Amino acid sequence: MDVYPILAAMRRNKVGAILIAVQIAVTLAILCNALFLIEQRVALSKRPTGADEADVFVIDNGWVGQPNDLEARIDGDLAALRSLPGVVDAYVTNSYPLSDSGSTEGVGTNLDPNRPLTLAALYFAGPQGIPTLGLKLVAGRNFTPSEVVAMNDYSVPKAPVVIITRQLADKLYPRGDALGKPMSMQFTKGMSTIVGIVDRLQVPWVSANGWGSKFNDNSVMVPFKLVWHGGHYVVRARPGQLASMMRAGEDKLFAVNRARVIDQVRSLPQARAEIYRDDRGLAVILGVVCAALLTVTSFGIVGLTSYWVAQRRKQIGIRRALGATRQGIVRYFQTENLLIAATGAAVGVALAIALNLWMVTSFELPRLHLGYVVAGALVVLLLGQAAVLWPALRAASVPPALATRAA
Amino acid sequence: MLKMTHLAKAYRTEVVETYALRDFSIDVREGEFVAVTGPSGSGKTTFLTIAGLLEEFTGGEYLLDGVNVRGLDDNRRSRLRNEKIGFIFQAFNLIPDLNVGDNVDVPLRYRGFNAAERQRRIRDALGRVGLSARARHYPAELSGGQQQRVAIARALAGAPRLLLADEPTGNLDTQMARGVMELLEELHRDGATIVMVTHDPELAVRAQREVHIVDGQVVDLAPPPRLVTGGGAASAATGT
Amino acid sequence: MLYYYFGLAVRSLKRNLVLTALMIAAIGVGIGASMTTLTLFRAMGTDPIPHKSRQLWTMQIGNWPPNKVTVATGDEEHLQPQIGYPDAIALMNAHRGRRQSAMYHGGRTVIPANSDLKPFEAATRAAYTDFFRMFDVPFVYGEPWPASDDANHSEVVVLSRELNDKLFGGANSVGKTVDLDGKNFRIVGVSDRWNPVPRFFDLNTDKYGKTEQMFIPFTTAIDEQMEMWGNFNCDGDLGTGGWEGRIHSECVWIQYWVELPTAADVAQYRSFLANYATEQRRTGRFHWQPLVRLRNVREWLAYNHVVSDEARILVLVSFSFLFVCLLNAMGLMLAKIMGRSGDIAVRRALGASRGAIFMQCLTETAVVGFAGGLLGLGLTSLGLLGLRALLSDEISRLSNLDTVDITIAVALAVVATTLAGLYPTWRATRVQPAWQLKAQ
Repeated sequence: MDVYPILAAMRRNKVGAILIAVQIAVTLAILCNALFLIEQRVALSKRPTGADEADVFVIDNGWVGQPNDLEARIDGDLAALRSLPGVVDAYVTNSYPLSDSGSTEGVGTNLDPNRPLTLAALYFAGPQGIPTLGLKLVAGRNFTPSEVVAMNDYSVPKAPVVIITRQLADKLYPRGDALGKPMSMQFTKGMSTIVGIVDRLQVPWVSANGWGSKFNDNSVMVPFKLVWHGGHYVVRARPGQLASMMRAGEDKLFAVNRARVIDQVRSLPQARAEIYRDDRGLAVILGVVCAALLTVTSFGIVGLTSYWVAQRRKQIGIRRALGATRQGIVRYFQTENLLIAATGAAVGVALAIALNLWMVTSFELPRLHLGYVVAGALVVLLLGQAAVLWPALRAASVPPALATRAA
Repeated sequence: MLKMTHLAKAYRTEVVETYALRDFSIDVREGEFVAVTGPSGSGKTTFLTIAGLLEEFTGGEYLLDGVNVRGLDDNRRSRLRNEKIGFIFQAFNLIPDLNVGDNVDVPLRYRGFNAAERQRRIRDALGRVGLSARARHYPAELSGGQQQRVAIARALAGAPRLLLADEPTGNLDTQMARGVMELLEELHRDGATIVMVTHDPELAVRAQREVHIVDGQVVDLAPPPRLVTGGGAASAATGT
Repeated sequence: MLYYYFGLAVRSLKRNLVLTALMIAAIGVGIGASMTTLTLFRAMGTDPIPHKSRQLWTMQIGNWPPNKVTVATGDEEHLQPQIGYPDAIALMNAHRGRRQSAMYHGGRTVIPANSDLKPFEAATRAAYTDFFRMFDVPFVYGEPWPASDDANHSEVVVLSRELNDKLFGGANSVGKTVDLDGKNFRIVGVSDRWNPVPRFFDLNTDKYGKTEQMFIPFTTAIDEQMEMWGNFNCDGDLGTGGWEGRIHSECVWIQYWVELPTAADVAQYRSFLANYATEQRRTGRFHWQPLVRLRNVREWLAYNHVVSDEARILVLVSFSFLFVCLLNAMGLMLAKIMGRSGDIAVRRALGASRGAIFMQCLTETAVVGFAGGLLGLGLTSLGLLGLRALLSDEISRLSNLDTVDITIAVALAVVATTLAGLYPTWRATRVQPAWQLKAQ
C-alpha cells in the first residue's frame, strides 16, 4: 500500500496522530519496565531456601518469668514434640529461613582482624537441623550429639565445628577444598573446622529490600542449642499432617507446661507468603496498571480513529465510488495506525531505556533486558492493530453512494 | 447601512495571489432588499462572509451601519456581528442539541440580555415566523421549511440592523422555498434591510435590486432586464 | 452565563454518551491509579510530628573503629543508626537538652489478672519520662511517671489505650497494677492512640509499625533485663559476657532523642557533643576521633530513606499512567470538540466571541474532569482496598484516605483535565466563523 496519501492525510490530523504516538510511547516505556520489574520480583519470591519447606513449621515459644531450669524445659518440649506421631523431627534455634530475623557473623579463614571478612547468617542447629529442614548435605558430615553446646548466656560459646553453604565455602576457599579447613568467626573469636557443606541455605532476610540480598546464600550452621527465655522450635511433620501437627504441637506444649507464651505457629510456606507479600503485591499492582494502561490506550485509539472515520465518511464514500474495495479501506486505516504506532514504539523504546537507566541509578535496579523492549513493542503494535480494526470495519461499510449526496 | 468601497480580498498561496474580490463597491441603504447574484466562484460567498464580519478583507473600506470595521479585533467584530447582523444560512445551521427556543436564544445569550428580556424576544421572534407552538421541539422534528423559519427567527431575535441570507431556499423544495421567500418579503415590508445571496434568477427578481458579481467584481448595478416588478407584490398578496 | 455553559456542557456530553463515558473512564482510571499510590507515598513521607519536627533531634556517635570493613549496617561515614548504652547514660546524665530520652524496643510478658486471658507478650518501649512530653503523647488517664521514678528504677508503667481496653475494658486503671513477667507494675497513666507514621523515633524495625503497647522506665527495663527486640549490632566484640557485659559493650541498640527548641540550643548541643567525643578520646576509650552527627526529624527520615523504592516506583508508574490517560482524554476531547466545529462556527457567526467559546468548551472539560475525579475517588478507595489485600499489614496501615487526599484527587482531576482540555478548547476558538458558509 502506498503510504504517501496516508501521510498526507495525517498531516491534516497532526495533533491526533501525535497524541496516539505519545500514548503508545509512554505505554511501551512503562510496559516493558513494569514487566521487567514483575519478572524480577516473581523470580525473587521463588528463590529456594535450600530447605524442603512444605512440611516444616515453626513454633515461637517464650517462657513467662525467668525460670532457672530452661535447658530441662526446652529438652522436655523437644521430646514432647518429637513424640507426636505426625512429627518427624524438631530442634530449637535462634533463626530459620524466611523469618526475616536472625544474627550475622563476620567469617574468614584466619583470625587477622584487619582482613576483610565475609558476612554470613548464623543458624543454631544440632544434629536435627539438617533432617528437620531437609537440607542437602553435599560434602562432609552432620553434627554429632556430642558436639552440641548450650548457649545460655549473652556471650557466644566457641564452635569447634561448623557446617556452611556451598556458596560460602566457595567464597572462603575458591579452589573448592573447604571441607576440613578452618574458618574464623568474628564474635566467637576462635577457629572452627568446616565439617560439612550444604547445597544451599538462604539467609533469613530475603525480601527485595532485605539487606540479606547482598549475601543471600552465605550461611553458617553452628552446633548450638539455644537455652533462652525465647526461641523457635522448628518442626518437620509427616507429609500431609502439617496442619494437624501445627495444632497438636501447640496443644502438646501447653499440656507440658502452661507458663509460656506461644506468639505464633506458622509453616514455612506461610512464612514465605508473608515475607514476599510486598514483592508479590508490587508485581500484582504493576500487572493491573499495565492491563489498565493497555486498555486505556486501546480505547483511545478506538475513539480517535472512530472520529477520523466519521470525519472522512464523505471522502471514504468517494474513494469507494472511485473503486476502492472494502479491504482497501480497512488496510488504509490499518496502515495509518501502523505508521503512528511504529513511530510511537520507536520513541517508546528510547523512553523505556531512558526510564530504566534512571531507575538503575536511583533504585539500584538491574539493566532492562532488551527482550522486554522488543516484546513490549510487539505488544503495542498488535494492540494498535486490534484497536483500529473496529473503526476500520465501520469505515469499510460506508456506502459508495454517499459520494453522490451532499455533505 | 452597508457600504463597501474598492474592497479587495486576496488569498495568498505561496507565490500566487488570487483575488476573490477586487475593487468591489456596493452601497445598501437602510430598508433595502438587495439580491446578490453571480455564477459559481464569482465571489458571492466571499462577499457575504466579509459583509457578515466572518472574515477580514485585504483592501478598501467597509462601513457597517456607519462603523468602519477595518482592523477591528476579533472581540469587537463578534460584538458587532451579534448586535447588527442576523444570519440566514442555506443549511439553516440550527444546533441539533438545542430545541427551537434555545436555538433562538443563542445570540441573545451572547448579547447579555436578562432572562425576561430573552424570553420576550424568543416569543416575539417565533411569533413572527409562525412557530410559537414549536418552541420546545428539536430541529430534527421539524420540516426543512420550518427549520429555516427557526433560523430566521434566530436571526431576527436580536433586532439586527441587517439580515444576511445565503441561498436561504437552496435546501428547500419549491413550496417551502416560496413560504420562506414570502417571510423575507414580509420582513422587508416591515422595514428590515436584507441582503440575499442567490444564484437563482427567479428569487433575485423578487428583491428590490440585484447586484451581479462576476470574477469578484460588481458588473451591473442596474435592475434586472427581465424585470417583472409586480412579482414581489403578487407574492405578498398570496402570502396574506 | 456559567450556568448556561454548564447546561450546554451537560447537553453536549449526553449527546455522545460513549465518547463521554470513555473520557470520564480514562480520567477516572488515571486519577484512581495515581491517587492510590500517592496516598501510600504521602503516608510514607508525611512529617509524623509536624509541629515539632525541627526541634526534635537524634544523634549518632562513631563509637566503632572507623576502619572496620565487615560492618553490615551503618552508612558511608561508618556511623551506626543507634547508640550504645555507655553513651546513652552519659548523655542522659549530662542532661543538656530541654528534654531528652534514651529508649529501646523490647517486650514483656503480660500475665492478666483475668485468668480467661492467656499470658501474652506485649511490645514495650523503655524510655525516660521526657519521652511523653517531648513527643506530645496524649493521655486518656493519668500522666507520665515523675522523673523520680526514672532515678529510683520504679516499677511503673504507662499502658496504651489498646492494652488498657484489653486488660481493664477501657476503665480508668491508674493506680492499679499489672503483672509483667511476674512483677507487679503500678499503672501511672494510659496513653491515647499515638501511632506516628513513619515511626520516626525508631526506624530500625517496622518503619511504619505501631507504637508499643506500653512504656516502662528505661532504668527499670535494664534492671529487668528486658530483651532487645529491635536491632542489636556489635562490631565483633560482645564484651565480658552476660547481660551486664552486653549492655556495657560498644554494641549499639538505643535510640536517643533530645528536644532543642531554638537554633542556639542546637548549636550549643552540637558543641557539647563534639566536646563529649573529644573527651572520650582523651580518656582513652577511643583511639580515633569519633564522628558525631545530629539530625532533626525531617533530616532523620530522609537519611533513613523512609519512602520505599517501591512506593517511588509505583508513584512514577501511576503518574505516567495518568499522563497517558490525560493524553487519551485530550484526544477524545479534541475529537469531540472538532466534531462540533459546525456548531461552534454558527455560534461565532451569531456573535459569540472567542472568549465565550473558550469558556463554553472549558466548562465542558471541567465537567468531565469533575466526573472523572469522582470516579477516580471511587477507584482510589477500591485501589486502596486492593493494596490492603495485597500488601503487608505494615504498609496497609498507610492506606487511609484523608480529606487532604480527597481534595487532592478532585483538584488533580479538574486541573489535569482542564489542562488536557486547553488545547482542544484553543482549537475550538480558532474555528473560523465562515466555516459553515465555506463548507457548503
